[in-house]
Amino acid sequence: MFSAVARIFRTPDLRRKIGFTLGIIALYRLGSFIPAPFVDFGNVQACLAQNQGTSGLYELVNLFSGGALLQLSIFALGIMPYITASIIVQLLRVVIPHFETLHKEGQAGQGKLTQYTRYLTIFLGVLQSTTLITVARSGALFGTNSGGECSQLLTNDAWYAILLMVITMTAGTGLIMWMGELITERGVGNGMSLLIFTSISATFPASLWAIWQSRGVETFLLVLAVGLLIVGLVVFVEQSQRRIPVQYAKRMVGRRTYGGNNTYIPIKVNMAGVVPVIFASSLLYLPALIAQFNQPAAGQEPAAWVTWVTNYLTKGDHPLYMLLYFLLIVGFTYFYVAITFNPEEVADNMKKYGGFIPGIRAGRPTAEYLDYVLTRVTLPGSIYLGLIALIPLIALALVGANQNFPFGGASILIIVGVGLETVKQIDSQLQQRHYEGLLR
Amino acid sequence: MEILQVVLLVVLGITSLLLTFLILLHKGRGGGLSDMFGGGMSSNLGSSGVAERNLNRITVILGLVWFATIVALGLITKFQSGV
Repeated sequence: MFSAVARIFRTPDLRRKIGFTLGIIALYRLGSFIPAPFVDFGNVQACLAQNQGTSGLYELVNLFSGGALLQLSIFALGIMPYITASIIVQLLRVVIPHFETLHKEGQAGQGKLTQYTRYLTIFLGVLQSTTLITVARSGALFGTNSGGECSQLLTNDAWYAILLMVITMTAGTGLIMWMGELITERGVGNGMSLLIFTSISATFPASLWAIWQSRGVETFLLVLAVGLLIVGLVVFVEQSQRRIPVQYAKRMVGRRTYGGNNTYIPIKVNMAGVVPVIFASSLLYLPALIAQFNQPAAGQEPAAWVTWVTNYLTKGDHPLYMLLYFLLIVGFTYFYVAITFNPEEVADNMKKYGGFIPGIRAGRPTAEYLDYVLTRVTLPGSIYLGLIALIPLIALALVGANQNFPFGGASILIIVGVGLETVKQIDSQLQQRHYEGLLR
Repeated sequence: MEILQVVLLVVLGITSLLLTFLILLHKGRGGGLSDMFGGGMSSNLGSSGVAERNLNRITVILGLVWFATIVALGLITKFQSGV
C-alpha cells in the first residue's frame, strides 16, 4: 500500500497529472475567497459570522459551492449551473427526439450534446447570478429578518455595477467549467466531480469544529466514529453489484476468431448515484421558496397555507418532511435508473455481437430478464439511498448539528463516489507500469 | 484613482465577455453527468490540435488578466473605504 503510494510519485507521468489536478483545485479554492467587485467584504463577513449555523434556503447550493455562494465571491455559483445543465440535458433526451438520436450517434453526437450542455450552463449562470445579486441587493440573502450590515452587502447598486457583477460571475462559472474539463483531460479523475468533492470536503473541518465547540469532545468523537462506520457502509454498498453472466459466441472473421469468452453485465445496487438525492432536495425546496416569496409585510397574519408550509416543510426535523423526502428519493431512484440504463438497448447490443445470457433467449426475453433483475436490485438500492439521505436530518434532531452534517446525505455519497472513482483511475494508471496497484 | 477605477471596470467587462466566449469555443470534454458519479471508465484522450493549443494559451492569459483586474478593483475599494 505505502510502497504503491511512493510509486505514484516516482512515475513521472502520474506525478505530473496529480500535480496538475492539485494545482487546479488550489486555484479553484483561491477563487472562492475573492469577492466579486462592488461587494462589501467586511459586511459580508460580519453577516456570515452572525448567521453561522442557521439553515437558510441556500444551504444545499452553498454546500456545493464550498461556502463561496454566501460570500458572494467570483466563483459564487460554483459548479452548480453545470450540474443543473447536465441533468436538464439528460432529462430532455426523453422529451426531445433530436437529443435521443444525438445520444445514440456515438462520439460525435455525444460531443454535440456536451456542447449544448455548455451553452445551457452559461445561460443558467446568467440566470442564477442575476437572482443571487438581486436577492443580495434586497438584503434577503441571509433571511428576511436580519437587518443592519446584512442589508448593505453591496457598495454600489447602480445598474452598471449590477450588470458588471452578473457578467463577472458568469465568466467565473465558465472558468470553473473549463477548469473541470482541463482536469478531465490532463489530470486524474473526472474534473467536475473532483471540484464538487473539493467544495464539500472544504466545509468538513468547519462543521466538525462547530460540533466540538457546541457539544464537547465526547459528542465530537462519537460523531467521528459513527461517520467512519457510515463511510465503510457506503463503500460496501457502492461496490456491490449483481453480475449477470454473458456468453459470446465464437465467430470467425477471415482468419481470426472473435469472442467466445465469458463476461458479465454488472448491475450495481446503487445505479443512480447521488442524482436522486439532489433531485429530491431541490424539489422539496420549492414549497419553502414559494412560501418565502409570499411572506406578508410585518404585522400582518400570513395566509394559512404559508404557515402550514413553514411549519411542516421548511424544517428538516418534522416526520412529514422526512417521509416525503424518503418517498421522493425512492421514486426518483427508479426514474433515474430507467433513464440511464435501458434494458432493450443492452439486449439489442448483445444480440448484435452474438452474446447471450445462458438459459435465456436473445432479444426480447433478455430485455425482460434484465428489466426484472434491475427492478429487484434497485429496490434495496433506493431504500439505502433514502436512509443515507435521512442521516443528516436525524442528526439534526439528535445532536443538534446543522443540516450540513458532514457524514450523511448527498455529501457522503459524493465524497465516497468520487473518491472511489479517482482512486480506481490512479490505480489503473499505475498498473500500466507495474502489476501491483493501490487496491487489493 | 477615479479614472483608474473606471478603466479597470471597462477592462473587467470586456475580459469577462471575451472569457465566456472563448470558453464556449473550446471543445467540451466534460462527458456530462453520465460518467460523473460512478459511471464507466471512459477516458478517451483526444490529441489537441494546434488551434486548440493556441486557444488554451489565449484563454489562460485572458483568465489571468481577468483575475488581476478583480483583485485590483477589490484593493481600490478597500483603500477608498479605509481612508
